[in-house]
Amino acid sequence: MMTRRWHYVLFVVWVLALATTPLWASNYIVRLAIMIAMYTTLTLSWNFIGGFTGYPSFSTAAFFGLGCYAGALSQRSGVPMVLAWGIATLFVGAFAAALGAIILRLRGHYFAIGSIGIVEVVRLVVSSWGSLTGGGDGLNLPLLSGGPNAVARIFLAVMIAIMVVTFVVTVIVDRNRFGYGLRCIQQNEDAADMVGVDTTRYKVIAYFLSALFCGTVGAAYASWIGYIDPNDSFSIIMTIKVPVMCLLGGPGTVLGPVVGTAAFTLLEEVFWANFLDYNRAILGAVIVVLIFFLPGGLLGLSYRDIAARIAKPHRRPKTAS
Amino acid sequence: MAYLQTLVNGIVLGALYACLAVGFSLVWGVLNIVNMLHGSLIVLGGYLTFFAWQGYGIYPLLALPVVALLLFALGYALQLAVINRVVSEPVLTTLTLTFGLDLILYNFMTVYYTATPRRVTLDLGAIDIGGIVMPVDRLFGMLLALVLTALLYLVMRRSRIGRAIVAVRMDSAAAALMGIRVNRIYAVTFGIGALMAGATGVIFAMVYPVTTNLAGIYLGKAFVVCVIGGLGSVPGALAGGIVLGVIESFAGQFFGPQHALTVGFVLMLVLLVVKPTGLTGIKGYE
Amino acid sequence: MHFTTTGYASAIILTAGIAVIAISPRLADAADVVKFGAPLALTGSLADEAKKQDVAWKMWLAKVNAAGGINVGGKKLKAELVEYDYQSDGQRAGQLAEKLITSDKVDFLLSPFGSGHTKIVATIAERYETPVVACAASSESVFDQNSKHLFGTLSPNAGMFGPMVKLFQEKLPTLKRVAVLGRDDVFPKAMAQGVSAAAKAAGLTVVYDQLYAVGTMDHSAALSAIKAGNPDWIYVTGYTQDLILVRKQMSDLGLKAPIVTMVAGPAYKEYIDGLGNLANGITSSSWWHQATSYKGVGVWPTTEDFYKEFLAKEKSDPDYVHASCAAAAVILQDAIERAGTTDKKKVRDELAKTDVTTFYGPVKFSANGMNQGRDLPIIQVQDKQIKVLAPADIKNGDLSLIK
Repeated sequence: MMTRRWHYVLFVVWVLALATTPLWASNYIVRLAIMIAMYTTLTLSWNFIGGFTGYPSFSTAAFFGLGCYAGALSQRSGVPMVLAWGIATLFVGAFAAALGAIILRLRGHYFAIGSIGIVEVVRLVVSSWGSLTGGGDGLNLPLLSGGPNAVARIFLAVMIAIMVVTFVVTVIVDRNRFGYGLRCIQQNEDAADMVGVDTTRYKVIAYFLSALFCGTVGAAYASWIGYIDPNDSFSIIMTIKVPVMCLLGGPGTVLGPVVGTAAFTLLEEVFWANFLDYNRAILGAVIVVLIFFLPGGLLGLSYRDIAARIAKPHRRPKTAS
Repeated sequence: MAYLQTLVNGIVLGALYACLAVGFSLVWGVLNIVNMLHGSLIVLGGYLTFFAWQGYGIYPLLALPVVALLLFALGYALQLAVINRVVSEPVLTTLTLTFGLDLILYNFMTVYYTATPRRVTLDLGAIDIGGIVMPVDRLFGMLLALVLTALLYLVMRRSRIGRAIVAVRMDSAAAALMGIRVNRIYAVTFGIGALMAGATGVIFAMVYPVTTNLAGIYLGKAFVVCVIGGLGSVPGALAGGIVLGVIESFAGQFFGPQHALTVGFVLMLVLLVVKPTGLTGIKGYE
Repeated sequence: MHFTTTGYASAIILTAGIAVIAISPRLADAADVVKFGAPLALTGSLADEAKKQDVAWKMWLAKVNAAGGINVGGKKLKAELVEYDYQSDGQRAGQLAEKLITSDKVDFLLSPFGSGHTKIVATIAERYETPVVACAASSESVFDQNSKHLFGTLSPNAGMFGPMVKLFQEKLPTLKRVAVLGRDDVFPKAMAQGVSAAAKAAGLTVVYDQLYAVGTMDHSAALSAIKAGNPDWIYVTGYTQDLILVRKQMSDLGLKAPIVTMVAGPAYKEYIDGLGNLANGITSSSWWHQATSYKGVGVWPTTEDFYKEFLAKEKSDPDYVHASCAAAAVILQDAIERAGTTDKKKVRDELAKTDVTTFYGPVKFSANGMNQGRDLPIIQVQDKQIKVLAPADIKNGDLSLIK
């Protein structure tokens, strides 16, 4: 299909744009590219459970933070960096699979609340288990040696690589019976169940996928920054931003998360560089506008729809007056 | 004896928690909206109380009705103008929208009021009944909280508006057919939620420092209380609040203050899985 | 999910447009300035502390530029301060530190408030071999990354406990039982652990020693347990809002002790404002107090010069954060002038060799970058005023036990 091919072309172009930043931009831009790649992975991951399956998960920060800590603790025990990332990935995946079996029995609001609760509980546990995690002091990681340029390039490559892998998995899921099954669950879970879709297994796998690469980027992020603490690793702001990025681009699509993350991150960049005091308010305003005028995300944008929505208040409400 | 003190501490704390959560529970239960603004609205109520007290010497109790009305108006307007458009949307949309609105409110408050902790220094002391010590302001807060929740309960049960709200909650299409203006009811409900948040803010201003830093913590408590107590029900919020207060109190004593908060959240998670409808068994929307 | 052509087009145009705006380079600034970069948490939970840093640095900036600028090898160059708001978010702190170095091309960095964020900024500074001075980090753990470019004006926490235990034992010979309640956060936790160890070493009994989680809204359980332990000395750590709450709840629960210490409560005006009369009698440690009378280098030759100017400008007393941060700028200027150049490596070496006195006190950096220890002021609130109890050469009051 024409559209599918365009997806891949656009994605490749974007990857090249990010990957070549060291060649044509300052280290600050390279850093921005690293963060974009990292958040794209998080958003693509969220897309599995939130976009395809329609379960509004707010657990991203829990997975990311656990990845940070698993990676950090491994590295501090002498495990080589890349292997530590692998361990973190597996750990977070296993955690999500076990947790998913329990929590995916909930739906809608309750699932959302439960998933936020997970973030808080994990943060509190990590924070109070001081002997293992350093508690409020945080953890130092062995710093990768090398000048800032070299380190930046390495981590850019790493984050892009993880992003590409996640994208590929997304494509596979999208074109696969598994993805189709997830979409069925989103449309009507009970009907899907009756038609023979193994809803529990599919949901758990989706939740597992939504966590796996969060663990990887968490560990990589920890190695890059060299220091982590519970408050920044398990950030509620991150756990809300990621679904917003996906909503902005178009949930349940392959390219939506990529576009959404890019647009959101760059918007943020523009705003807090120029509107110091009110950047949070502006972020909030962006979210509000997004919800109203872009229900299908940027990729589903239709100016006619927007015009209709603006005109809505003048229509009578459906209920009797 | 020490246990009795812990229990009393827990109950008094719990009443404050109940007051905090009842508005949130109402909005969630009736409108199916998770109101992320709740914590910030409480803080806003607190700031209004503080400045009334500092600037004009107005005693918080007198400020209460005014603050409550102001916040009701704010909530009503917000609902009608903005939130009404997403009332039937899935939770991701509504939660994100209210989160976005919260960012705006939070930012303006922080810029305008700064995050410096403020305190309404009443220093009412404590009373001692048979060896059990109870701080007067918390006691006062507890009584006020109980009075407000009782009032709310009566309104819901007895008044026309209250019955309309319950009707809408049970079946909005049927309610519409019966001549109820659903949109207006939604706005009133959200307004009441904001009113309770504002009232809580007034009460809390007497007990806690007023600062935007606490908004997130209040919101988190509201979540936990609602899950424990059940949604959309005033008695549920009361029960949930007191249970949480008592549990935190005892957890603090037995596990140390470090783990008191964790216990609350873990309890919430366990309940979600085991009995999401909470103590009162009232099912919120899915 | 359907895609519209307008959707794609809009998405691409929007993203491209934003990208262009976002990465367009800022206009190059004049070359004849010395640039100082400061990532600050101007919004978010640390906003109050960041504002103090901002006030202190702007005061220094005005003063140094009024005198013509910094003397760099005979030539006077104006100083310029570039600040960014990192919204109390650690990720952003690092991002902005990098932006300051690579895009704004600052010569030196001034660190934000708070241990964790200082570490993140220091890591970046280390990679770019840019000297950074921290004015609000006093825990040893902040300086444990083997950084060669991080310097801190606050003396280590460790210097606070011994003298305090000694003073209190002297003034209250029957002092035997201590209760310690700390916030589970880098600095407050370090303080709690430090005093606990010092008390034990001095032969005191620690009857209660616990941490409370960040976000605790009710301390009754801890305070009730402390009350049961009947301590002579209660030591609480946390940030201003925690300490206000604890003090209030202590009063509510009828918890009293002859000596009550809260760190760093009374060192901040907001604490006294927030508690009114309840603040009376509370002791604390501080890193500086205006009652000292140091004399040395910098735009304010004596403590009194700094104090008077601050009082005139801000209409209130400076606290140790203001002083420490102003001192950080003063020391950087001094190091630049000694080096005779703004070359990062040479200035870094001069910083390491620093051994001067400033209005803030002696500044000499140890191997790990921290200012060397000294006798730090012990203060007490009496009649809503701060009195200095120790060390002897600056004291202006005596410990008054709480009845």
